[in-house]
Amino acid sequence: MGSGNEILDMYIYETGTLLEQLETIVLEAEKADTFSQENVNEIFRIMHTIKGSSAMMEFDSLATVAHRIEDMFFIIREGTMSVVSEENRPALFDVVFQSIDFFRGEVDKVEAGEPLNQDIDNFLSNINTLIAKIKGEEPPEPAPASPAAGQPASSSKAAPPAGNGTFSHALRVNFEDGCGMESLRAFMVVTAVRDVCSEADFCFEPANVETDPSTSEAIIDQGFLLMFKNTQDRESAISVVKSAGSVRDYQTFDCPPPEEKPAAAAAPSPAPAAQASPAPAAQAAPAPAAQQQHAKETLISVNLSKLDQLSAVVGEIVITESMVTSSPDLKGLNLDAFSKSARQLRKLTDELQDVSMSLRMVPVSSVFQKMTRIVRDMTKKLNRPAKLTLIGENTEVDKTIVDSIGDPIMHMIRNSMDHGIEETQEERISAGKDPVGEITLSARDTGSEVIIEIIDDGRGVNDEAVLNKAIRQGIASPDVEYSHKEILSFLLAPGFSTNTEVTEFSGRGVGMDVVKRGVEELGGTVSISSELGHGMTTTIRIPLTMAIMDGMEVAVGDSIFTIPINNIQATMKVAAGEVIHDSSSGEIIKCQGNFVPIVRARDLYQLQDGCSDIEDGVLIWLEAGDHSYCLFVDELLGQQQVVVKQLPTYVNSFNVKRYGINGCTLRSDGSISIILDVASLYTAARGM
Amino acid sequence: MNDEILFAREDEMEALNLDDAVDSQKYLIFMAGHLKLGVIAEDVVEILNNQVITYLPMVPDFIRGIINMRGQMIPILDIRARLGLASQDGDNLVVVINLGDVQLGILVDGVDQMLDIPKVNIHPLPSNSTQMLVSGMCSLPDGSGTMMVLDCEQLMPND
Repeated sequence: MGSGNEILDMYIYETGTLLEQLETIVLEAEKADTFSQENVNEIFRIMHTIKGSSAMMEFDSLATVAHRIEDMFFIIREGTMSVVSEENRPALFDVVFQSIDFFRGEVDKVEAGEPLNQDIDNFLSNINTLIAKIKGEEPPEPAPASPAAGQPASSSKAAPPAGNGTFSHALRVNFEDGCGMESLRAFMVVTAVRDVCSEADFCFEPANVETDPSTSEAIIDQGFLLMFKNTQDRESAISVVKSAGSVRDYQTFDCPPPEEKPAAAAAPSPAPAAQASPAPAAQAAPAPAAQQQHAKETLISVNLSKLDQLSAVVGEIVITESMVTSSPDLKGLNLDAFSKSARQLRKLTDELQDVSMSLRMVPVSSVFQKMTRIVRDMTKKLNRPAKLTLIGENTEVDKTIVDSIGDPIMHMIRNSMDHGIEETQEERISAGKDPVGEITLSARDTGSEVIIEIIDDGRGVNDEAVLNKAIRQGIASPDVEYSHKEILSFLLAPGFSTNTEVTEFSGRGVGMDVVKRGVEELGGTVSISSELGHGMTTTIRIPLTMAIMDGMEVAVGDSIFTIPINNIQATMKVAAGEVIHDSSSGEIIKCQGNFVPIVRARDLYQLQDGCSDIEDGVLIWLEAGDHSYCLFVDELLGQQQVVVKQLPTYVNSFNVKRYGINGCTLRSDGSISIILDVASLYTAARGM
Repeated sequence: MNDEILFAREDEMEALNLDDAVDSQKYLIFMAGHLKLGVIAEDVVEILNNQVITYLPMVPDFIRGIINMRGQMIPILDIRARLGLASQDGDNLVVVINLGDVQLGILVDGVDQMLDIPKVNIHPLPSNSTQMLVSGMCSLPDGSGTMMVLDCEQLMPND
């Protein structure tokens, strides 16, 4: 079962990736209310790949649906988007979304080893109706119509063996007996041939294999005929045909004795409607691989625990490397060749470390994209126009975080759509708002944590309603006066839901507390702020446990600190005369027209060594939130990408975080640098 | 397979118990100033020497800083300072112990020996003793002195 499983895994992974791509395209297109020609081509390609690989895996229902969608986009591709009239467009988008859901559902079943849904007639007839509408026809018979749009259906039976005029060099391809979906396989051959030979230089019979499954019979009878203008093209096509799946043999007409191609294996399964058994799957493997080579990005999925193992080993290698190269035994020896190799080794280990660090980091965009879909679906269902704006999708966080923030974000978005955005446009207009609601989902990396904000411009939280509800639920006591903040915190209490009706999307009485729990599991916090009538903002803060950050390493005496680059405005050397002393022995400096206080790291942290003369060290102008100040350090050591590590809990129990000591990171020589949190450092300095 | 070993051990222990009628515990004994301190050997993860300790500001004096043990950050507690003895520089030896899910490095002067000590031989401290962090005392069988059993739980910050 081994190899069969690998192919199945590949199929599942690839189909998943393609569906994600497709969803992104369609969501974009829906905003513009049209598909660009580029989009259409891309969708066409995606559907084509899904069709091909599904057929190869013998998931026929999937292949059939993909095939119909492909047909539909074929028409659109030929006639551009103008063939789809305005009123049909929403239906078109819906059908594409439905098909995405259908594929996802089926692929999930494949993954779980469950039987596929063979009853796809309803869905197919939906698509067919739409195709008919697009073509301006009456709905066709339930049986799949042959949509010969754009492509002249040439007579498929009894193809003349002799090439006609220009296409004189013919190649006949015979597929394995009973391999199924011959028309499709033929078309895949055509697609592959297109890669090696320009479209004008060859033609094929039957010509409508792509759109008409009934041509399969002709192909079984007659073979599939490719005709070329010149022999070179045919030669290159032969190599393509050789590598295509399920090809039994082929003949060229110029040289009569047929070259037998060793067929992969006897074709076993009685094709259509059969469930995939591992054997044919394995056999079919070369085909999707060859076919997708030109279009696929080279992605593989890796078990996360292997990555953890890798980072651990790499960490040790880096340390061992420096132990070896700076071994005290080598002192005083003249080791030119050794030093040279050691430098090379250092370079390589550095590179290795960089790579292993970057492996675990993924952008949040995959999660964010899903939200676009949710907003879109809810907009339709609830009939409340709203748009979702994404900010900072490329913020990179650890894979485990990405996996776990999806649900909390989804809950908040649903909540905003369901309870936040006003029910009617009139309500919004009378409140002086844009009739289209807006939800903003943003992510940003402060250097020590990721901040994800979900902002809606809806009704906001009605304190009184929330309080009443909380009292009814027994969460709040009627005798106590609660502040605005406290009332908002009820929203996050378990079992609290303001909506009296249970809706499809939210309001099941679970929700917000699930968000809170989910985020807390990641070591993060959730807070809500809201103003009645002006919407609600949910802020999720998650520490970047394994995250990578760009930091500036600075030295103070013997200690080394890392400051998040994001916080650094400027670094400067100043003369003693430029420093302004205030009455409380504080120091102030003027930076680009602003007066900012100076914090001396050495004094704040009571370090034994370090510069005391302001002219010997460096000032780093830092900004975080509302705080702006200059940190005085001895010297800058350089910018570095670092892996943020948490301090041991034992250390954290002494509240060092209050003093801006937020984490640490391993330097390339194995020593430790302390990561500073710019905001709390300043708060600590001011409190002293 | 593991079960077999486990049972074998239990058998051995039972035999031991029956023979000696005592329940014993292995201790690692290390020096801090003039004191000999013992920790349960099972809790010891590793003994490291010549570690570069990164100074950590804003923590009590008895925390020397943190070290990097194979990518893991281990806080280092100066046991002399913790017990109120004079601190000593120079060669350092770190005994890393495991306390629940917390790992802690203890900076000591040197490691003395590993010893099996019957539980009955461990006596409580005199009731008027003001000795901190020690849960029991035991005279060493080789006559080299007295071991004080370090109460690792008490090393944890009380929060």
